[in-house]
Formats: sequence, C-alpha cells, structure tokens
Amino acid sequence: MLAFVIRRLLTLIPVLVGVTLVIFSLSYISLGDPVRAMMGQRGDPEVIAQIRRDYGLDQPLHVQYARYIGRLLHGDLGRSYRQHRRVTDLMWERLPATLRLAAAAMLIAVVFGCTAGILAAIKPNSWIDRLVMVLALLGISTPVFWSAMMLILLFGSVLRWFPISGYGSGNVWYLILPAVTLGALQTGYIARMTRSSLLDVLRQDYMQTARAKGLRDIIVLCKHGLKNAAIPVVTVIGISFADLLTGAPLTEMIFAWPGIGRLMVNAVANRDFPVVMGCTLVFALVYALANLCVDLLYAYLDPRIRYDRED
Amino acid sequence: MTRFTAIVLSLGVLWMTSMGSLWAAEPRYGGTYRFPLSTDPPTLDPAQITDTTSHSVASEIFNGLVRYDAQLNIVPDMAERWDLSPDKRTYTFYLKKGVKFHHGRECTAADFRDTFERVLHPSTRSPRTGFIDRLQGAKAYLQGKAPRVDGIAVVDPYTLRLTLEQPFSLFLHLLTYSSNYVIPKEIADKHGSEFTSHPVGTGPFRFVKWQHDDHIILEANKDYFKGRPYLDRLHYRILPEEVTRLEEFKAGNLEHSDIPSGQFLSVKHDPELAKRLVSYPILGTYAIRFNMEKPPFKDNQALRHALNYAIDRRAISDVILEGRVYPAKGVLPPTMPGHNPDLEGYTYDPGKAKQLLIAAGYPGGQHLPPLDLYFNTNDTHQKIAELVQAQLLELGIRIGLRSLDWAAYIKLVDDGGTVLHRMGWIADYPDPENFLTVLHHSRNVGPAGNSARYRNPKVDALLDQADVGEVWEERKRLYQEAERLIVEDAPWIYVYYYSANMLFQPSVRGLRLTGMDAELTIAPQPMALVWLAR
Repeated sequence: MLAFVIRRLLTLIPVLVGVTLVIFSLSYISLGDPVRAMMGQRGDPEVIAQIRRDYGLDQPLHVQYARYIGRLLHGDLGRSYRQHRRVTDLMWERLPATLRLAAAAMLIAVVFGCTAGILAAIKPNSWIDRLVMVLALLGISTPVFWSAMMLILLFGSVLRWFPISGYGSGNVWYLILPAVTLGALQTGYIARMTRSSLLDVLRQDYMQTARAKGLRDIIVLCKHGLKNAAIPVVTVIGISFADLLTGAPLTEMIFAWPGIGRLMVNAVANRDFPVVMGCTLVFALVYALANLCVDLLYAYLDPRIRYDRED
Repeated sequence: MTRFTAIVLSLGVLWMTSMGSLWAAEPRYGGTYRFPLSTDPPTLDPAQITDTTSHSVASEIFNGLVRYDAQLNIVPDMAERWDLSPDKRTYTFYLKKGVKFHHGRECTAADFRDTFERVLHPSTRSPRTGFIDRLQGAKAYLQGKAPRVDGIAVVDPYTLRLTLEQPFSLFLHLLTYSSNYVIPKEIADKHGSEFTSHPVGTGPFRFVKWQHDDHIILEANKDYFKGRPYLDRLHYRILPEEVTRLEEFKAGNLEHSDIPSGQFLSVKHDPELAKRLVSYPILGTYAIRFNMEKPPFKDNQALRHALNYAIDRRAISDVILEGRVYPAKGVLPPTMPGHNPDLEGYTYDPGKAKQLLIAAGYPGGQHLPPLDLYFNTNDTHQKIAELVQAQLLELGIRIGLRSLDWAAYIKLVDDGGTVLHRMGWIADYPDPENFLTVLHHSRNVGPAGNSARYRNPKVDALLDQADVGEVWEERKRLYQEAERLIVEDAPWIYVYYYSANMLFQPSVRGLRLTGMDAELTIAPQPMALVWLAR
C-alpha cells in the first residue's frame, strides 16, 4: 500500500509540470496584457513598457517559464501583478472560508443525498422513489445563481432567518444559505448515484443468500448492501469534494463569500497570471489527492482490491 | 453665476428634496457606516492605486497637499496655502503644522518628498508615475539616472517647493490623486510591497482590519487635524453582486446601495425606496468610437454622420437604461465646466442618415465591408449594442457584435484592432482638458486615451492653446471651438451622459455629492463629514 501511495505521489510531478506548461502557453497566446489591464482605461505607453520589463513580461516564453519553475522549486508561487502580494498569502487567506463552505456543503450533500438515495432504492418505484428522483433532478438542473437568489429572497429578505451575504467572521449562520445552495447540486448527484448503485447491489445473489440465512432486512442492508454499493458513491463524493475545494465562484459571488473561486475568477479577468498559475497548480494537486484518497478507500470498502498486488 | 453654480444648485436641490426636513438636524457623533464595495480593492498602497474602489477607501486613510471642495474647486488639504511663481513653474506649499500620521509621528515636507520619490522610483513599479512626472528631473530619476528629483525641494519642515519642467495649469488637479497621498517612509520601507496590508496615513480614519473579499474596517482617527470624524467606524463590505447589495440595503444592513440594472423603474415606483433615491449627473460620457485610421470610417465623414443620425439615443436612454441617463450631444457632459449647451449634436433622423449613406458611397448600406462592434462583457453594453445593431439594420447596415473581457478588450482597442468599439469616460478631474485633450489630441492616440485614433491639426492647436491658458473664459472659448470641430468630424457616436443613481438610508446625513462622486464608491465624498441620525 505504501509503495502504491509513493508511486501515485511521484506521478504527480509530471502532472504538475504539465499543468504549468499548459497554463503558461495559454497565458502567452491569450488576448490581453496584465499590465495594460492594471492601468485602467488609459495608460502611458512608456510606463506600460517599463512595468512589463520589470515583471519580465517582455522576455520570450521559455525564459519566463524557466524563471517561474526556478522560483517554484524554491516554493515561491510568485506575486500578484495586481495586488502586489505573494500568491501563497492570497490563497492562504481564503483557504479557511473555502474549507468551511466545502465541508458544510459536502456534509449536507452526503447526509441528504445518501439518505434519499437509500430510501429510493429500498422502495423502488414507490412515491418516495419518484419524489427523491424529482428532487434530485431539480437539485442538479437548477442553476446555482437562481437557487441562491431564491434562498436570499425567501430566507434572508422575507423571513430574515439567515444573513443575506458575507462571511460573518466565521459565524455559522452565514454559512447555511451558501452551503445549502452548493450542497443541493451535490445532493442530487449523490442521491441518484446511491440509488442506482444500491439497487444494483440489492439484486445480487449474495443479498438473497443473506436474507435466506435469516438476517433481518436492516442488517442485510447495512452490512452487505451499503458497503458494496459505496464504491461508486465514494467516487462521486471524492470528486464533488474536490470540486467544492477548488471553489464555487458563482455561489461565492452571490453570497459574497471570500473563497478561492472568486480569487481565481478575478485573476483570470485581470490576466493576473501568477495567481492563475498558483490556483491552477493547487487545484490540480487537490484533484490528484482526492483521487488518491478515493482509490485508497476502495481498498477498504472492497477487500478484493489490493494495490500491493498490482505488480 | 460661477461655472459650478449650476451643478451645485442641481445637486443640492436633489439631495435636499430627497432628505426633506431632516437636513437641518444637528450632527451626532458615533455609529458605523456600512459601505458596500463591488470588488475587493486591489491595493491600499497609494502608489499602486488605479481604480475607484481602492481610491474610495484610501481617500479616508490618507491626505494629499490639496483636495476638491463641494464645488470641485481645488482647496488646501495638508497644505495651508501655496504660491505660484511668476513663470508658472514653481509651486511653494506651506504645510499645516502638527499634523500626525496614525502611528504618531508628525508629517513634514520631507514626507512629501519621500512619497513623490517613492512613486517615481523604478522599484515601486507605480502605474501612476504620470501624475507626478512633470516635476523637473522626474524622468531622469524614473530612469535611474539621478539620485534625487531636482524639482522637489524641502525648504524647511513646513515648506515644500515643487518645480515643473514646463508650466502646467492642471498640476494641482494631479496632486489630488491618491498616488500623491503622503505616507510615512519608515512604515513603507518596513513593509515593502505589503504596505498595502498595513496602510498608515494622516486621514480621518485609521486602518484596522482587512479580510480580503469580505470586509475592511477603518476607525475614527480621534487626533485628525481637522477634528475627529462624526462616525466611529467605516465598515466596507465587499459585495460583488448588485442584487445582493440591494437586498442587504433593503434589510437595513447597508447605509447606501446602487440599483441593479433593470430595476431602476421598480425602485422609482416603490413608495418606500423612492424616498431614499438620490440621482445626480456625473462627469461622464458614453460613446461608440470609430477607428479613424481604418476604412470604411477613415476619411468618410458622411458615413460617420450617417451612423450618428441613425442612432436613437432617447430609446437607449429610456428603454435600456430606464431613463437614468441623458442623451448626449457632444463630448463634454452638462456638468463639466465649459459644456456648450448650444451644441446641436446629432438627433435621431433615419431619413437624413439614408441620404448621408448615399453621399458616403454606401446607399442602403450596400458594399460596406463587414463591421463588428466591440464591447467589454457587460449586460448593459450588450443591450445597447443589440439596439444599435437593430437601428443600423433599419438602414441596411449589418454589424456583428463582439464581446471580450476587459483585459483582452482594452489591449485590442489600444492596438487599433477594432473599427467600432464602445467606451465610457468618467472624468479624472473636472476640467475640459481631461475629455478633449486626453481623448482627442493626436499625441494621445492609442493607450493614452485617444482610442478613436482621431487626428486634426486644427483641433490639436486649439487644445494646446487652451491647455496652457490662464484665463478661464479664454480657455472655455477655445475648448468649445475644439469640441465643435470634433463633433463636426464625428470620431464618436455620442450616446449618453452618465448619472449616478443610489439609495441612501434616511439616517445618512452630511453627504456632499458632486459630479465627481462615482456611483457606489461615492469618492471624493469626505466620509469625515457624514453622520448618522439614529
């Protein structure tokens, strides 16, 4: 197992190098100039040229890339062109808000999604099943900006149960509306996946055998059904959590939530390449680690999966 | 009547009407003003500020030598007074004594020298060197060829002498810019580029906390040299969505808010919100600019006139912008000194436009090359572009619409890569030079402001003369003549003059809004004058 983890971690290196190369190339061919964008509506051409020189933006792409990689090897993600601060600081400041929102949305999604999916699977084609599937479809297909605005209007403006927007210095009341907005989408995915996976498992012979042995339905479901149905659900949860960790720009914009998604979107709009590059690298890392965690969970959930026998 | 009286009266009437009898109440100390911002300020380091959001916050933390008053006249700020030498090149500023930075040290003339030199120093990479580089020797210092700026002399701790390379009558306007706010060198040196996170100035409010993308807290500077502000705190809330801002305002969580696009009429007809609505014209003009260097608009005045007559500005103003702006007739907005109310401009006249199209060599729009109208991505720009597209189609002119994000868009415009593009312009300072010279002089073609790439030697000569003029009436005459020639040449389709439309809670008092106070950020409104009647 340890060898597998080390091998997977080592494969991250070419992945991250590839990511830097792609983003650097895209930044080079994309329209727009970060220094010009920074100047506002007009700028002195001499000053623009001077600042471009100072940032090394007048150098050929391979020189800029080599310098970036050189800094990266020293753990330096560079400085924002626009905010003139270290990229690591910018991301670090926003990490707690992103983690809180992602964890809360995931909690909602797992609790409600799994419960709804299980209920639908054990009562297939019943009104519960149909209701769950309709709600799951609504959760998946409702645009985030619309559901966010509806929640704000109903629970923020009319009923005044929750704050309308902001981080509230960590107050949990501020977390609920954005977490529900984000969680609704993931709840839909998880409910559908749980239902279909569990339905599949419930039709397996070993489930009939367990029942024939006289085990109670609840025991059969929990001990044999859920564990075996969990693999695809865990995959969805892992990737969903990575999605949430890498930010949810729309939700963050509407609820004025100070997360990494907004940082990334603003950086792209302003061609703030060091921030774009830093965020992309971290996002790639998050996805890779999330996938690794999912793979490791497979081994726990299914004893047939053993990574140390791969070779 | 002075040149600003009309502005002041109109704004005063608007504000007093909206606030009614509460205007006369006695100011009260205390309270927190919850101030919305649409974006996290990119920086609070004055040397790096290029945007109105950062300027709005920084203007409460820092001071400059001079500032604008309610009539947009230049008045002393940190300076007590100043003299100008007979050759109009040397300004001698006599500073107020006993003014202290927030960390307790007295601010002196040497701090201004250090501040200006910091802006100009190559290592600062300030994008606003242009606001101080008219000083003698500034360019050499900027290029690293001189150890000091010759044009800055500290005569004594309270006397600062600034000498320009050439006389420039608008120099004092440049000194109102945030990049020229005084900062303590030792604090700036200590924090380096992180000074933005530890800003220290002499202003009415001192910096307390900044949670990026969420909020900024400033608290009253009780030792402020003009007396402590009425408010205890300024709580800036960063709310990127306009609908969220309005809902927060309605819930009583903000002291003011802008109005989302498409909701102006519903706000106006809401009995409660209508009472809180404040509207005033600001110094801005929205236009669609031709590229005067590219066919088909190059050397084809009749075609440019045709398009000007083909656009129904009233429809744009009333339908898309819900009546919150004013159809434009020329370059200078009505509240700008030097505005010519007799300028005829262009009115919607499809018949005339058709005749001009024939004269231009494109009857019924035939044989015109493919035309694309570029704009930066934004709902309002999109709707205006679509209406313009429909109106031009009525004459047989087919145009495509191209939307780009700002960074890509401004680069393309700078490079002359468009034949038609939209551009709004809000005044940097209340002088016609800022609209006419900056946006139309041939030396400013490209990124310096003249994106239409317009060139007319007669206009250049008039503007050169007006810019250095000393007598306002003569300058006004020259500017009006230049504007008449420009509008006749029609490098732009003049669309509308901007206005600001905002909601203020009934408890907000002491506002002193001017044509320079941008929507939402309401700078240069001094928040030290604002108080809350609750």
